[in-house]
Amino acid sequence: MIKGRYEDEDLKWIPFLIGLVFLIPFALKGMTFSYKYYLYILNIMGIYIILTVGLDLLSGYTGLISLGHAAFMAIGAYSSAILVDQVGLPFILSLIVSPIIAGFFGFIIGFPALRVSGMYLGLTTMGFGFIIRRLIIAMREWTQGSGGLVVSAPEIFGFTIKGDWANYYLVWTLALLVIVAARRIVKSKIGRAFMAIRDSEQAAQASGINLAKYKMLSFFISGILAGLAGTLMAHTNHFISTDHFDSMLSIYFIIMVLVGGAGTIYGAVIGTVFIVLLDNIFVPKLESLLHVMISIKSGELESFVFGLIMFLSIIFQPTGLYGLWLKIRIYWKLFPFNPKKRFT
Amino acid sequence: MKRLFILLFGASLMTIGCDVHEGPPGVTNTEIIIGNVQDLSGPMKELGKLLPSGSNLYFDYVNQGGGVYGRKIRMLVEDGQYNPQKTLTAVKKLIEKDKVFCLYNVIGTSSVEAVRPLLEEAGIPLVAPATQSGTMSDMSRQGARYIFHTDTGYDRQASILTEYALGMEDNLKIGLIYQDDDYGENVLKGIGEAETKFSISVQKESFQRGASEFTGQVMNLIKGGCTHVIIAGIVKEPIIIMKTASRMGYFPQFLGISPTMDHRVALAAGAAGEGFISVNFAQLWNSNYDVPNLYRELCQKAGIPEKMMGMYHYYGFSTAMVLVEGLKRAGKMLTRNKLISGLESLKNWDGAGIQQITYNRNDHSGAEAVMLIQVNSGVQVPISGWLK
Amino acid sequence: MNTLITDLSQEIVSGIALGSIYALIALGFILIFKATEVVNFAQGELMMVGAYVNFFIIQRFTGDMNVPTGWYFLMGLIGSILFAIVFGWFLDLVINRPMRDEPVFSIIMATISMGIMLRALVSMVAGTESLVPLSPFGDAHFKIIGVIISMLDLIIIIGTVVLVSAFYYFFNKTRWGIVMQATSEDPIAAQLMGVPVKRVYSLVWIFAAIVAAISGVLLSPRASLIDTNMGLLGLKAFPAAVLGGFGSIPGAIIGGIILGVIETVSMGTLSFHFHWVKEINDIIVWIVLIAVLMIRPNGIMGMEKIKKV
Repeated sequence: MIKGRYEDEDLKWIPFLIGLVFLIPFALKGMTFSYKYYLYILNIMGIYIILTVGLDLLSGYTGLISLGHAAFMAIGAYSSAILVDQVGLPFILSLIVSPIIAGFFGFIIGFPALRVSGMYLGLTTMGFGFIIRRLIIAMREWTQGSGGLVVSAPEIFGFTIKGDWANYYLVWTLALLVIVAARRIVKSKIGRAFMAIRDSEQAAQASGINLAKYKMLSFFISGILAGLAGTLMAHTNHFISTDHFDSMLSIYFIIMVLVGGAGTIYGAVIGTVFIVLLDNIFVPKLESLLHVMISIKSGELESFVFGLIMFLSIIFQPTGLYGLWLKIRIYWKLFPFNPKKRFT
Repeated sequence: MKRLFILLFGASLMTIGCDVHEGPPGVTNTEIIIGNVQDLSGPMKELGKLLPSGSNLYFDYVNQGGGVYGRKIRMLVEDGQYNPQKTLTAVKKLIEKDKVFCLYNVIGTSSVEAVRPLLEEAGIPLVAPATQSGTMSDMSRQGARYIFHTDTGYDRQASILTEYALGMEDNLKIGLIYQDDDYGENVLKGIGEAETKFSISVQKESFQRGASEFTGQVMNLIKGGCTHVIIAGIVKEPIIIMKTASRMGYFPQFLGISPTMDHRVALAAGAAGEGFISVNFAQLWNSNYDVPNLYRELCQKAGIPEKMMGMYHYYGFSTAMVLVEGLKRAGKMLTRNKLISGLESLKNWDGAGIQQITYNRNDHSGAEAVMLIQVNSGVQVPISGWLK
Repeated sequence: MNTLITDLSQEIVSGIALGSIYALIALGFILIFKATEVVNFAQGELMMVGAYVNFFIIQRFTGDMNVPTGWYFLMGLIGSILFAIVFGWFLDLVINRPMRDEPVFSIIMATISMGIMLRALVSMVAGTESLVPLSPFGDAHFKIIGVIISMLDLIIIIGTVVLVSAFYYFFNKTRWGIVMQATSEDPIAAQLMGVPVKRVYSLVWIFAAIVAAISGVLLSPRASLIDTNMGLLGLKAFPAAVLGGFGSIPGAIIGGIILGVIETVSMGTLSFHFHWVKEINDIIVWIVLIAVLMIRPNGIMGMEKIKKV
């Protein structure tokens, strides 16, 4: 009975949330002169959400560890940059083709995934991340090596999308679509297969689930989403370089999924929102507060707080922020019948 | 539920404000705010402490004298972690949120490349980016009109160094060992130019950023019979390279690009580093000229620990002087365009303790010459004048 | 042909020294994994902490920039080991106990976050400037059959062999060692047999910390500059550990040395003759790793773990 409550989704909130997302830029513009900066942060957030949703499908739902996911983002970004600026492909097509290229690479990494598992898989994906990075640098004629590439702004049906305002709508429309699509995947046969694989490969196989097919599919989908995120990042930032897509970024993404709550899609969204806000708004505020008291070199404090939050959340709240939210909601719903045991 | 929705919608529509501008951002009657992005927690975090400290040393001095036309200079420092994306975010924050007047000393070649679109969009100048990459003064790139470079580019350094090496003796073979990233790429460009100009071919060995193993590359240089080796690394690499070579009984003439001028190279390399020639593009901080003297005097007054004084600290100091000169020349009615034209009026100006700086509308490279420093009995001494 | 052989031998010897450091770090990983199934991604950072502690101890006694004599070096070494004992015990308390039953994923992330915190803490405490450690062996080197090897490298190789042998002996021939192996295979059964499981875990972390500290001390003079990014070398040691088979101690040495040699030879002779090799120098380690995992998913000397449903 309680399980049903956990799955309870108030669908009528969704149009409201969508409306909110579309209104935020207006609200921001009215509230502050620096709205462009905040829009920029929100854009990055939206791009990352697209990726972390994919990562959640891979790791949270299928249980496959990927420590090099930023590489897929890089593939998407560089593919799109090269296709649009050098080959002359229209942006709309690149928006479809580049993620597929990234998904294809996801497919490639899927092969080793069939042979190795757990921590070995993590290391393989990490190695893959390094290899892809090197590959991109090695293709110097197209990618300018490690110097970075300037990328043009997206052009859709003759309209050029430039500036944080326009970028926001492009990014978030896609982000919302991705979230909805991901939830539908999760509720479908594919999603159930993923979860079965995560919980027990042997049982899944015994139930007739084709491990190879679904593992590859999981990598493929998460690769596509990461590639989409990369494409958007390339065209809204107008500059990409291999320095950005390093293993630290991959780890950031995993932190976002874990802190938000793996295996729920919404968790990935909440986690990403939380971490991006933390990184850009809360920690600097904390720093300026602390500067008054102690003089610490700011940079390390940020990393330290980051590591600390990640650590604490893993130890004390392994179900993540979304898990916390669910607990709170159940608490309210069952009030005043709240056996203490259920909420430890 | 529905009503709440409509209410919120209406409220947000009503709050669409209009932008009001009074004069350029970051300038008031009493203050000029400038934005700096350093690496405070990443791979180059050492510099993140030294550079702003040097800059602030000069700014405080200027502020004590009343500032520039009565305006005191205040510098905000953001953390870019030497990462282009983070630097982009930091610059965005400085421009949109903190509304700085201009940018200064942003560190990292690819980081600066990443923010070019922002410079173009906001029309904001970037003075003295903290990198010696020649791409800073490449006028064909976006936003070039806003960037003012104060250092001699790596490519020029490499080219001049090759020329100098060729002049040292006949029958030599030049080798290059370079860091495989944008630094190295710029060096390669200069080497390529020298190769064409002098019809020679330089043996090239590369290593990855952060590497600490060079046995393979050194052995390749030996195999290639190189008599002169140019090192395009930072601090750790020249030390280990020279020590490895010395252990193998290989004693070519080592030459280094500007980052290798760090005094720690001579210190840690010991005997192996004897005779090492490195490139400098500014006056030595401990030399006996006007600006270095002023620098040391101010350091003493401010109680700067000896550990901090040195090449990087001095770099922050001297580039600050360039910025202030530009601000002065811009005049009392300060706007970004006037800063740009103020800087472009600098002609053979030697007031910053670097070298003669020249800018004009089509040339923002500022410095073009180098001075060579050699390690003699463990001490660095200049062995040439300004070479072009 | 002759020069080729000498050159290759030179590179191989140098590669063995490099590989020994990888092997030491890998040893730390394997120790912890063997006993507690925890993958310690912060092993490299532990090494960094050891290096810093060692530097400060030496500095206190010899002042800035003076070359430490043999005695001071030994003192620094012992000091770091003592520190490591305390630190290891502390880490066990903080990471191991709470994380015992969590999925592998969370454990990995917990140790990664620990690594991040350590790096930040050390920067805050020790300052951001890189430090210059000085080798007590100076530049002493020998020439054996045309191959030059430095005193430092020799000590590193010998030290590694000694350590690994000591641990191998410990785990396979002494009572405590066998007890620890038993605990790693089945903690519940061990507990039922009267093994103080918690103490075993603490011991393992302490061992790993000691190994990390020693590798930090040995690496510092070789790297010429200490800074908080030293820990990133730990990442490279992972393939070494996996290559050798993640549960096997002699595997660590084999894996580490193989990787060290491959790296050095690829940077040298291979790059000289095949220019394109330059492009993959830093990832050759990972390529080899993935290739090996494809053929032998449990590493060269690893044992197949049968997963019971």
